[in-house]
Amino acid sequence: MEYSGNITATPPHQFKEKNLWQRFWSRSNEKVGYLFILPAFTHLLIFLLIPLIFSLYLSFTNWRGPNPQNALFIGLENYQFLLGDRRFWDAMRNTAYYTLLYVPGSMIVSLLIALVMNQKLKGIYLFRTLFFMPVISSWVAVSIIWITLLDPQVGILNYVLQELGLPSVNWLGDPSTAMIAIVIIAIWKSVGFQMVIWLAGLQGIPVELHEAAQIDGANRRQSFFRITLPLLAPTTFFLAITGVIGSFQVFSPIYVITGGGPRGSTDVVVYHIYTRAFEAYDMGYAASQAWVLFAVIFAATLIQVWYRRHQGEGSLF
Amino acid sequence: MFQIKHLLKAALISSLALVPLGVFAQDATTLTVVGVTVPPEEIGTPLDLAYQALVSSFEEANSNVTINVVEQPPEFETQIMIDLAAGTAPDVWRAGQALLPELIEGGYILDVRQCLDITPTLTMDRFIPSILAIHQPEGPEGPVYGVPNGFTPMVFYYNPEVFANAGVEVPTSDWTVEDFLHTTQMLTIDSQGRNAMDPDFDPESIEQYGVRVRKFFILENLAWVWAFGGDIISEDGTTVDGYLNSPETIEAITFLRDLVLENHVAPPPNALDQMIQERSFPSVFLDGQVAMYPRGQWEMVGLQNQENYDPGRVAVVGYPVGVNDATIAFEDGWVINSALADDPAKLAAACSFIDFATSPVFQDSKALTGLEISANQAVADQAAEVSQWPEVQAVFVSEADDARPDPNTRFSFFAIVEPRLDLMMENILAGADVTEEVNLAVEEINRELSRQ
Repeated sequence: MEYSGNITATPPHQFKEKNLWQRFWSRSNEKVGYLFILPAFTHLLIFLLIPLIFSLYLSFTNWRGPNPQNALFIGLENYQFLLGDRRFWDAMRNTAYYTLLYVPGSMIVSLLIALVMNQKLKGIYLFRTLFFMPVISSWVAVSIIWITLLDPQVGILNYVLQELGLPSVNWLGDPSTAMIAIVIIAIWKSVGFQMVIWLAGLQGIPVELHEAAQIDGANRRQSFFRITLPLLAPTTFFLAITGVIGSFQVFSPIYVITGGGPRGSTDVVVYHIYTRAFEAYDMGYAASQAWVLFAVIFAATLIQVWYRRHQGEGSLF
Repeated sequence: MFQIKHLLKAALISSLALVPLGVFAQDATTLTVVGVTVPPEEIGTPLDLAYQALVSSFEEANSNVTINVVEQPPEFETQIMIDLAAGTAPDVWRAGQALLPELIEGGYILDVRQCLDITPTLTMDRFIPSILAIHQPEGPEGPVYGVPNGFTPMVFYYNPEVFANAGVEVPTSDWTVEDFLHTTQMLTIDSQGRNAMDPDFDPESIEQYGVRVRKFFILENLAWVWAFGGDIISEDGTTVDGYLNSPETIEAITFLRDLVLENHVAPPPNALDQMIQERSFPSVFLDGQVAMYPRGQWEMVGLQNQENYDPGRVAVVGYPVGVNDATIAFEDGWVINSALADDPAKLAAACSFIDFATSPVFQDSKALTGLEISANQAVADQAAEVSQWPEVQAVFVSEADDARPDPNTRFSFFAIVEPRLDLMMENILAGADVTEEVNLAVEEINRELSRQ
């Protein structure tokens, strides 16, 4: 049987071209999603992005008085001046010194505490809470307590040193020890937070790996360095990144305890920027300092990311 | 529809009835004032009562003006900058002198010569000339940006008991730099009771120091530079080269350094820190561990609050006389928001308020509160008669004639320079070479000045 009807080609369906906006509004799920994030985005825009862009603009002006409308656009002058600003680079060096002491110091101490807190012991939750308490304490209150603890004459730290037959130290009055004292305080304050992160990492390591290693004859030390530590690499990376960013932004203990002294030994970048902006009202120049700090932190973070990608997670140790 | 029409008519007629009230309301002026309150912990003190009396007596005398008292925040200098930027600054405020150049340069405060016609009772000759000069950056014939309220010159506090115990004459207003050094040496005693002039004096066991020297360059050390005939910055504020590193200034700084490191008559920074770990410095001074230190009148209140306070342990004298007989003065003043120039009623109220606040009605309270000296010449002259510390007060008033303004009141950028000078002095007192440190500071400060 032969078909004798006419066969006519059906023209291909012509889809109407939609632009991006039309495509967006045609997807009802996306619309609702964007509406949900609208309040957060508005908040972000008003309180973060606009001030951020404004501060970038300010860094190219000579704004010094109350009214930014009177500020003159001076191009890169602030940045050029900054290159030769010895005090600023001294502050940057102090900040780097703080970072070098604080980041590894706090990570090691908090890891050791986390290892202990990861044991199934009676009352372990109480101890975890106690270690976390400094994190939620006010920096000002903590600072005042530590000023007393570090007192050269009546402070408990010097009492311990004397009991050990060591000379007492003028922790906050000596330029060579003031930053170390600040680092000790900062580690004590933040160790609880880092401990919680380490604990999360430790609890994510399968028990079977340790059991297998034990069967193979690995001792606890080998088990820690060959299994635990490599598997904690993502946690280590996270803590290193956030630690470096946070330590470059250290301000509160310096503001409350040392005021940048003695002899400028604890004058860190954020404190330096603060004094320039809110004591000398040199807002334009302070804004340029803030952006240079941002660039330094950004570069430090990129280096860490690059290192992790190129060397592999295991090489963090 | 008919009802709506009638309702609208009724509303219109009744609103007309409110017009006279509106006219009446326009006659009343509300003046926002900052600087007439005390922190919460000082409520009920003589100063608080004095402020309350100022406001109430002003409102009583000016029935058409209401004072809107705004509490002074702790970081007032920052707050006022924000308020000025936002256009929400008070009409009148009382503040320290440090922001004066910024406010003048920005055109934020009024030239009070505009008040002289509006309030004829407000005259400039009521003020101590050297203190009024702080508000006259262009000289006596130029604009007057605000008026002084109170001030204090820096003087030396000394403990007469310590002098008596050491058999040393108490200083007089004409004492010289050499007298000062000799006095401090006689008053510095080691554990064996030997003073610093004794050949066997042991600097390692000092129990009583002659004087306190600190890093605060403008506050405590600039008067020394002037005494040696030096200065720190050019008249026009364009350079410190040739001033900060002049032979006279270097000599003054070396003298101060030597008091600590060579003559051992002033405690080194570490020793000073240890002295004040357990108690305040005024308490240390009253116990005689340090015989003299430079400070303003406000210190009297702090001293009086110490448990070991005794009037016989406190006296004051001016800085030693050298090439110049000079000291530095710190003051606070009343300023009027320049925005009031467009509001005649408020301007008149503001002028009247600062006239009132600088007249004896309020200024008489200064001798009682003891924090500062009235900038009103007549009130200051009589302060010793009503003061609780007549002799101390008399010295402060007499020192006003030698007072020079703080460079912070002349140059808006000085807030950048001052911390650098403090750092320089801190390094020098810790043993750094004077000339090297000063030259480094000159280089860095001049670099800063080049971008002003």
